[in-house]
Amino acid sequence: MADHVVRFTESGKNVQVPTGSLLSEAARLAGEEIGQPCGGQGRCGRCLVRVEQGTVRSRSSLRIALEDQQAGYVLACQAVVEGDVQVSVPEQEKIERRLTTDRTAQEVGVPVGYQYPRDQTVWRLHVSLKPPDMDDQTDDWSRLQNALRQQHGITILNISLNLLRKIGKVLRTGEWQVTAIVEYQKGEEFRLIDLIPKHVADSQPLWGTAIDIGTTTVTLWLVNLLNGEVAAQVAEYNGQIARGEDVISRIIFASKNNGGQILQDLVLETINSLIERACKRAGIQPETIYKASLAGNSTMMHLLLGIPAESIRLSPFITAVNQPPLMRAVEVGLQLHPEASVDCLPGVASYVGADITAGVLASGMDDSEAIRLFLDVGTNGEIVLGSREWLVTCACSAGPAFEGAGVQDGMRATKGAIEEVWVNTNTFEPTYRVIGGGKPRGVCGSGLISLLAELFLTGVIDKSGNFNLELGTPRVRNGEHGPEYVLAWAEESSHGNDIVITHVDIDNLIRAKAAIYAGFTILADSVGVSLEMAEDVLVGGSFGKYINVEKAVQIGLLPDKPWEQFKFLGNTAVRGAYLALLDRKMRARIAAIAGRMTYLELSADNTFYEAFTSALFLPHTDLSRFPSVADAFALPHV
Amino acid sequence: MPVEIPKDNWPGAVRTITLGATAAEGGSRRQVVTVGGAKSLPFLHFEAIHPYRPVIALEIRDRRPDDWSPLLIKTWQEVVDDPASWAQAGEKLGVDLIQLTLSLTKADGSSNTPANAVNVVKAVLAATGLPLLVFGPGQAEVDNELLVAVAEATKGERLVLGICEDKNYRTIVAAALANGHLVSARTPMDVNLAKQLNILIKDMGMPLDRILMDPTTGALGYGIEYGYSVMERLRLAALQGDTMTQFPMIVTPGFEAWKTKEAKVGEGVPAEWGDWEARAIHWESLTTIALLESGADIVVLRHPESIRRIQAAIQELMTQAEPA
Repeated sequence: MADHVVRFTESGKNVQVPTGSLLSEAARLAGEEIGQPCGGQGRCGRCLVRVEQGTVRSRSSLRIALEDQQAGYVLACQAVVEGDVQVSVPEQEKIERRLTTDRTAQEVGVPVGYQYPRDQTVWRLHVSLKPPDMDDQTDDWSRLQNALRQQHGITILNISLNLLRKIGKVLRTGEWQVTAIVEYQKGEEFRLIDLIPKHVADSQPLWGTAIDIGTTTVTLWLVNLLNGEVAAQVAEYNGQIARGEDVISRIIFASKNNGGQILQDLVLETINSLIERACKRAGIQPETIYKASLAGNSTMMHLLLGIPAESIRLSPFITAVNQPPLMRAVEVGLQLHPEASVDCLPGVASYVGADITAGVLASGMDDSEAIRLFLDVGTNGEIVLGSREWLVTCACSAGPAFEGAGVQDGMRATKGAIEEVWVNTNTFEPTYRVIGGGKPRGVCGSGLISLLAELFLTGVIDKSGNFNLELGTPRVRNGEHGPEYVLAWAEESSHGNDIVITHVDIDNLIRAKAAIYAGFTILADSVGVSLEMAEDVLVGGSFGKYINVEKAVQIGLLPDKPWEQFKFLGNTAVRGAYLALLDRKMRARIAAIAGRMTYLELSADNTFYEAFTSALFLPHTDLSRFPSVADAFALPHV
Repeated sequence: MPVEIPKDNWPGAVRTITLGATAAEGGSRRQVVTVGGAKSLPFLHFEAIHPYRPVIALEIRDRRPDDWSPLLIKTWQEVVDDPASWAQAGEKLGVDLIQLTLSLTKADGSSNTPANAVNVVKAVLAATGLPLLVFGPGQAEVDNELLVAVAEATKGERLVLGICEDKNYRTIVAAALANGHLVSARTPMDVNLAKQLNILIKDMGMPLDRILMDPTTGALGYGIEYGYSVMERLRLAALQGDTMTQFPMIVTPGFEAWKTKEAKVGEGVPAEWGDWEARAIHWESLTTIALLESGADIVVLRHPESIRRIQAAIQELMTQAEPA
């Protein structure tokens, strides 16, 4: 058998290996450091190298983008040496950036062409008044109205009693030089939100906030309305979780005794603490926030506003309100400026709320020529299929698992969360990446998806999610809640306890993914469109910054489509709220979206249960739906 | 004008599976039993040849059952205390298979042991020449302990070991795999669950000609429609070419029928229910007939009279109508 020379560019080392050797073997002989957390299975992509001269035969290029393949990148563990080659070994962090599946959620960009005050409804106006005297006996309020009419063309101005009580003092403190915060309402009408002594400098930000009230997670962005910049992004679990994990149990809780009040207080507490945190981060006072746009599912909106939500749960599933009117912060109980404008975005129906209408806006699919599929993974998985011609939607209850809740060692995607995992096929030892580095504290949604896929591919669990207890590794053991896998031993974790995934957790995850996948299939069937026909899949949700498409497909959460067709948008609901906060045209578009979406009620669809049980398997009972997973199983050693 | 009956032409077929092994094949059975092979829905002889008829297994216990209807005990009399004689009585009746269920405890109340289970199985094998199905008592740990010992002690017999379920199949499958036996896979009346368990068993390397599936059923009046429908859909999927549903189906109408109030209770029931024993036998045989029509390949029965009726029914159903 012929020998070939493999030369490593950076170290200058040469090694001789026989035909048919793997590049990873050559690298080991040459003492090159190449990571192989998956055990050389071609799954993790950490052994990416670039062939600079000569060629190799690649057994699998599953994890490499086409352009990188053309640039000579191969996986060392899958590259068979069949001639002399020269190979470059990139640094590990460069590799991580190149891996196609480590998709980063889109960074927040200020909408192109945003123009305050053309697009904004809240304005900050400098007003100079002529001081009153014995000849000019005009009252303060009329004087202010006249000045605003003359200097800013505002003909009709409304004011609250609270504000009336304080304008006299403000005008005099400011020596008749004041700054008015006004909100455009409708027609010729404006409302005075606040009056501040003196002229506030134009360089000072004007604050607003975009909020998504999720069943499990509440997310808040603090936004400068003048230029659209996001000054702080904060998120926290919804304080209502302790009173029920899904919307149905919340509604039931709310309907008993004082439950509605308790839930309203809890979510207000969560939002107000987020406001405080965001303000602290930006170094401002909550009273300087004048506008809030709120997205959230219909139940969350009702509970926030203290509106009985019981009818959402009971047939024929009717909300009290889909399009709440504009309100003031003091009425709602938000600790912003008391007169701040609170805009609850419109929803469609009981189970298609403002989180989806906002999400569709953020995804841009309502203006798309091609058919696209939009998915918001949260406690409810909401799915929208369509284009600018038509939009059809359904909601399926996935539970809080993908947000890291309801799972023993689950957590939100913040510092200390394991966000990606590889399991070695031979030793079953895990390797993981922790958000922010350091010791892990738990596992977030993307980590759970990744872990589930790895346990499945390495045979630690079977296709039904049952643990194989006969692997001879201490990682798999019988714990308090049945079989479990130890992801991090006590001494490796930040809290000194083992981090595990239990059999119950795995069941929850499989149920969650099955509910969402079943939603896809039912929705597509209902309009006679196959999932292949969708040009791309837009994925929103707060389950982590990095989502590994390959893993999400392997567990059967996402349909088996080419990776480049998946686009991760991060939290689309809060992004939609952000767009509506800034731009009144966007706000109008959400209302239009709400008006034209067709809603499919899955509970009235007798094929849902069938689709669900058939998806309660890894990746699916019908493997022909997942050809790439079938291929992964056919790889050598897998 | 002659009327042409429309015929379906299915791309798939039920897998043909042989239970038991003769001495020449490494076992000790006088005869083997082959089931499956259907290329159309049950008994549609004008559409396709049905190479193998449905077969009857007699359910026996390794000791006198505590919870059986007194009618059954009265009929079988003292053989219920001796599984070997019980199996022989079944063979005399003309059943095709013996299905032996191991109990959790021995007759004296002590826990069943692997050694005892092996002794009983060997005694039954020695007493009849029919292929044997051995089921555990239905508690995962005990099932595994007893069945592994039985599998090893009867290597090569092509027994059917059961019951494999979603949460407990690995050990039984591994034991069957290593010792040349078959397995029965039971799932609770759901097409997808049935298919999933078959896939799990296949994934362990079990050859596909050694798997039976038990889709579970209900007795007449106790959900038989649901069971019927699931079996029918499984059979349709098999005929449509879905390889993971192409296994012969085993069902236990004896067990299902004899736990109904109508079969179990003779006193304090309305007079118009009629004679208790006649009613109970009707219940078992009517349940069984319906399941045969929905595609059952193996039916496990308890009462000799039901067995006689089902034998006659199968005979008739398998007789092709003379061309007019």
